[in-house]
Amino acid sequence: MRCEEAKDLAGPYRDGELAEPAFGTFQAHLAGCAACQERMAEAGDMALTLRLAAREPASIALEARIRAAIATELPAAWSAGRKWRWPGLDPSNWPGFAYGGSLAAVCAASVLVTWLAVRPPADLGAAHDVVAAHMRSLLQDSPVQVASSESHTVRPWFNGRVDFAPAVTDLAGSGFPLAGARLDYVDGRRVAALVYKRRLHVVNVFVWPSSAAGDSAEQLSQVNGYNLLTWRRGGLVYWMASDLNPAEMRDLRSLL
Amino acid sequence: MRPRTRFEQLAMPHLNAAHTLAYWLVRNRADAEDIVQDAYIRALRAFASFRGGDIRPWLLTIVRNAAYRWLSVRQRASNVIPIEDAFSARDPDAKPVLELASDEPSAEARLIGAQDHARVRAALAALTPVFREVLVLREIEELSYADIAMIIETPVGTVMSRLSRARTELRTKLKAMIDKDERHAL
Repeated sequence: MRCEEAKDLAGPYRDGELAEPAFGTFQAHLAGCAACQERMAEAGDMALTLRLAAREPASIALEARIRAAIATELPAAWSAGRKWRWPGLDPSNWPGFAYGGSLAAVCAASVLVTWLAVRPPADLGAAHDVVAAHMRSLLQDSPVQVASSESHTVRPWFNGRVDFAPAVTDLAGSGFPLAGARLDYVDGRRVAALVYKRRLHVVNVFVWPSSAAGDSAEQLSQVNGYNLLTWRRGGLVYWMASDLNPAEMRDLRSLL
Repeated sequence: MRPRTRFEQLAMPHLNAAHTLAYWLVRNRADAEDIVQDAYIRALRAFASFRGGDIRPWLLTIVRNAAYRWLSVRQRASNVIPIEDAFSARDPDAKPVLELASDEPSAEARLIGAQDHARVRAALAALTPVFREVLVLREIEELSYADIAMIIETPVGTVMSRLSRARTELRTKLKAMIDKDERHAL
């Protein structure tokens, strides 16, 4: 094999896309050709630099925006039947599409049935308010009014803003850094909202005085794909909302 | 599991890939974010048509289509010039095109040298979108030729030849930039 021919095979070889017999022929040539080895190394360097230089990670704000958009997307849009065949994507490129409308109709129907079957329990009065407040916080530029991981900054901030003093602890040591706090309006009253982070997840902890006496065990529920954990302790009601998994939410609850 | 939750679990891990592709097609962060959000909602609505397996090619096809739709709209409204283009138009060889704070290289990246990074980014930005997209899909996302063929809607053979030309172009542009910088340095 001559270098001219080998040049065309170098890319596919490096990409792991070269099949036999070309693979064997190229490898044999490469072993004995310093010029091709050199070119190969250079191409590898360029690919690596490109990989490191050109990545464009999505911002946390974008992730929050998309999660909120997914959560608020009306199920009606799914069952519309024609929406899935939107312009721009040629259905013939997707084998599943080729089977035609009947399969899609079955899928759409099952989506609708699933949606109707999984509804939030009716006894959660404040749950919808909590999810709405959680989602609103994700839609803003920042979920906090006072940005601090210092409990000595956040706790006094609530003075005069709410008529109770919520306990505020930074839990960065346990993997739940405190991002800050804000006021929110839930269940017809002004409440304290503490914002914790867990990796890329935002956790809102809403606190307000309880009208019922005594402590209560935690209760887990799900609304719009968000997990909610609620409990009563020391005369205060706690509601935790996040897209975090329930196990880690329980971890945070045990630390609060 | 509800389809919405399942979609989120499958699609959210590929947000960086989606954003990288959108960014390199339109070269503007704000627009790239809008395109990715638009694409994710479209993907959610079309989720019933996803047949399982690796969701990445399916998702990136939708992102790419959204980006091209956006590019064609921008072409029609061509009196609007993105600020980045306005900057580079003044000096066509201008090096970094308006680098934002988020562009700070990571510790790992610094080993290669910030200078090289800026150059490679500028060289990639100087290519046409058809070359940029195959380079992003192969070198950054490390997708197979078959997956790339599906996303850019061409035969595998075209992917191979286009990728080869794109790499040659990138190398040429990069070399021109390095030579130019060295001449300046003398």
